[in-house]
Amino acid sequence: MTSPTRTPFAWPGLLAGLCLGLLLAPTVQAQGLDKRLREAEEKRIAVIEKVKPSVVAVLNAQGNNGGSGVVIDENGYALTNFHVVAATGPVMKCGLADGKLYDGVVVGIDKVGDVALIKLLPKKPGNKFAFSRMGDSDKVKAGDWSLAMGNPFLLATDFTPTVTFGLISGVHRYQYPEGALLEYTDCIQIDTSINPGNSGGPLFNMDGEVIGINGRGSFEKRSRINSGVGYAISINQIKNFMGHLRAGLDVDHASLGARIESEDEDGSLNKMVVRALLECDAARRGLDNGDQLVSFANRPMGSVNEFKNVLGLFPRGWRVPLVYRRDNSSKAEILVRLMGVQRQVVEDDKNPQPQPGPRPRPGPQVPSNSPAAKLYEPKAGFANFHFNKLERDRLLAAFRKQGDFSAFKGEWDWKGSGEAQEQKTIFEVNVRDEKTADGKGTQPVVRLSIRGLDYKLEPLQSKLPPGDLKAPAKSGGFITAMYHYRQLLVMGEKGFEGDFSHGGYEPMYMPTPAGQKPDYTKQRIMTEVLRTRHAGTSVKWFFSQADGTLVGFEVTVDRDEDPCEVYLSDYKAIEGGQKLPHRIQVHHGNENYCDLKVEAWKLAK
Amino acid sequence: MIRQRWMVCSAVMLLACITASSARADGSLAQVAQQVNPKLVKVFGSGGFRGLASYGTGLIVSPDGYILTVVSPLLDTRDLRVHLSDGRRYHCKMICMEPELDIALVKIDTKEKLDDLPYFDISALAKKQPVDAGTGVLAFSNQFQIATRDEPMSVQRGRVAAYAKLQARRGIFAAAYKGNVYVVDAITNNPGAGGGALTTRSGELIGIIGKELQNEATNTWINYAIPISAAVEVIEAENKKRMVSIAEVVEKKEKYAPSRKDELKTKEENYHGIVLVPDVVEFTPPYVEEVRPGSPAEKAGLLPDDLIVYIDGEQIPNIKAFKEIMGTIRPGTKIALEVRRGDKLQTLSLTVAEPRKKPR
Repeated sequence: MTSPTRTPFAWPGLLAGLCLGLLLAPTVQAQGLDKRLREAEEKRIAVIEKVKPSVVAVLNAQGNNGGSGVVIDENGYALTNFHVVAATGPVMKCGLADGKLYDGVVVGIDKVGDVALIKLLPKKPGNKFAFSRMGDSDKVKAGDWSLAMGNPFLLATDFTPTVTFGLISGVHRYQYPEGALLEYTDCIQIDTSINPGNSGGPLFNMDGEVIGINGRGSFEKRSRINSGVGYAISINQIKNFMGHLRAGLDVDHASLGARIESEDEDGSLNKMVVRALLECDAARRGLDNGDQLVSFANRPMGSVNEFKNVLGLFPRGWRVPLVYRRDNSSKAEILVRLMGVQRQVVEDDKNPQPQPGPRPRPGPQVPSNSPAAKLYEPKAGFANFHFNKLERDRLLAAFRKQGDFSAFKGEWDWKGSGEAQEQKTIFEVNVRDEKTADGKGTQPVVRLSIRGLDYKLEPLQSKLPPGDLKAPAKSGGFITAMYHYRQLLVMGEKGFEGDFSHGGYEPMYMPTPAGQKPDYTKQRIMTEVLRTRHAGTSVKWFFSQADGTLVGFEVTVDRDEDPCEVYLSDYKAIEGGQKLPHRIQVHHGNENYCDLKVEAWKLAK
Repeated sequence: MIRQRWMVCSAVMLLACITASSARADGSLAQVAQQVNPKLVKVFGSGGFRGLASYGTGLIVSPDGYILTVVSPLLDTRDLRVHLSDGRRYHCKMICMEPELDIALVKIDTKEKLDDLPYFDISALAKKQPVDAGTGVLAFSNQFQIATRDEPMSVQRGRVAAYAKLQARRGIFAAAYKGNVYVVDAITNNPGAGGGALTTRSGELIGIIGKELQNEATNTWINYAIPISAAVEVIEAENKKRMVSIAEVVEKKEKYAPSRKDELKTKEENYHGIVLVPDVVEFTPPYVEEVRPGSPAEKAGLLPDDLIVYIDGEQIPNIKAFKEIMGTIRPGTKIALEVRRGDKLQTLSLTVAEPRKKPR
């Protein structure tokens, strides 16, 4: 069975079959034109002039074999396709419309979504780049006009971008991946002409905002040139991945952990049904085989394409609301943590397993003479670890402004009252170093007292009973969480030997108050994530994007179980001026574990 | 009637076209797209092999679910289905085909009461004059099967480049329809686009997008649509002439009597001397029953029981295809026959002769 091929528009290198035509058009006198037409034309020309300096010709170090891109901020960060940088290698050359060639380096990659973030190096440190703003691709409609810009056929040796003008043919389109990669979900279909070399270039709306990244077309009998059907990755999808890309990650896409099938009945609209559910977060939240998927991430589900479209919008690990219906009874809304698509390398920090399947081809060599090579640091799980360090350190610096605790290496004690498992309680947490049994050194000891029970944890003990880290029961590991919290505040990077990296952007949802219906749109806070690993335990820390406050963290003691979710709020300054949370809420699985008010923080140096 | 006005397209006229299209505010094409989309259906049928798409497009032409599309192997199935713009899915039955116009009428086959579908009023539209070259157009179709269920059609924009006779073929099959078509400057005729709508920029239907065909002279792919006003003259039995039109097909529905093109064809069939086994089922393989003595077939070395697999590289899946292809080959043409004899493939060369007068 043959099916139309959907091939990415990477320029293969050779200039083949290029036809040059000379067009002779009757010149229409300007004064004869309708005023509105002239205005529309002038506006279009002005928009093209405005965005032109931001369009990039992406080339390999030898100055050929590339695609296009678009600069999205004054520091020279630019978007392109993954399949473009896969050909150029991590260090490349970038031509701008000013005719100059700049050095560029890969920042982050999204192999499944076919997106890469690169950074252009200014000719002089501090020089700013012209850039284009990102628009809202959800506002784009079939029938809108669009402009595609780039360097098709590598035509322009002075890097003046080619502009083509055309219609949006469809939105929310789904295009199957090639293998597991280059899946175009929720993409924009255009009749705007794109050709080999246009890959990675911007699709603009008529206000000059970037609404997509042009990447592929549908081809069948006609050759691999414009067939009237091109596709651009929607910019709103890319925005969800932007934090990951800026953090130098090799970002993974999401899967639900179930297959969604259409019931495929004649007549009425499609019912989407959950099948082959794996042991995953969705299952633990209550989803079951045979349930009808009503909506996913707030979008109603009417076809398999629609489901795949929405799934493709999110990075692995994001939580999204899901509404399902069982046996025609009432609907239920749950918050689902999405699984990954590709195999994980990062978290198995001890023995990363080689990935099965085709081995990654050895990429082009990094030219050592390029100044961009100094900004490239390879590391497993990252596209470029150099940029992860930049983002991580920026995040930490902002966090430290709320309070520097590095001097408080002594005993910490905080206590108060509240509710735990629907009972009133007082609580106290104490972390301090105590002499080891052999008397030769010291080790941290955590004590927690809640609901009249006392818990003790020596987190660095090598042979811990499995229940100790997860104590108290039904909290998922509140005691471990408190230890890691102090560890982050006091030790910072030095406290986490396993991993200490930026994890991109992610929404976090404050817990739903007991007895209330969830309103996830209201409960949602956009955060920047810090990932740490210490003493065999992984933690994800959520810092509010708005002001850098640590609003919560998730402690994963056992990867096959739900984490202990800790939510921090009611920040107030303590004696030394540092701000600390005075409300601590813990949620585990489907239940709120506790809601505590801190009445006193005692920190010793 | 040959219209030549498009050739003398003056700057004045171009100006008029441009002005007309610019009179609408920005974004209105999106509204037009939303208005046209509900009158189109996605068609799913047989195919999916050797470059034949198993999907296509259709136009709703009545509130109770008659659908106009182009003739294609896609329709050659009992399991023909359509998806409406709101996501409803229905089975369809074939009503009639008109080979000279290359169009087919199918109907939604359901027990549900259907009487309020949005539709194109073909009778009214067929009365309008064809639009001129230079007119801005939109094309709507489910090319490349991008959409299913309630996902909207692809919309493309272009201009009518010419209004002229279609001279096209697909491989060595000549196009069935030979009347006037709108040639479009956009790449509209992709896989699955056949049966789609060509409209003006304000959404008025002017044509039905045709198949994937190549220009006879240059072998380049043509982007064309059959005008809704299309009518062609056919010669029926006893040399009776008759005009057939899209409007007539749509109006008469079940009562429409197609021109019997196949019968006419056999009468004119070029002489090759191959007698095939009786064509009894839908997909009878073209086995040779007999080779006429002294015929081109005998000279070519064809033997009874040979199975004809390819003619000039084109696969011949059944007797119908064999007849169709032989009807399009000019006398004196040398064709390459690939036949299966036993378990081996053989290539033979046959020169087609003039049609012979049939003994009465």
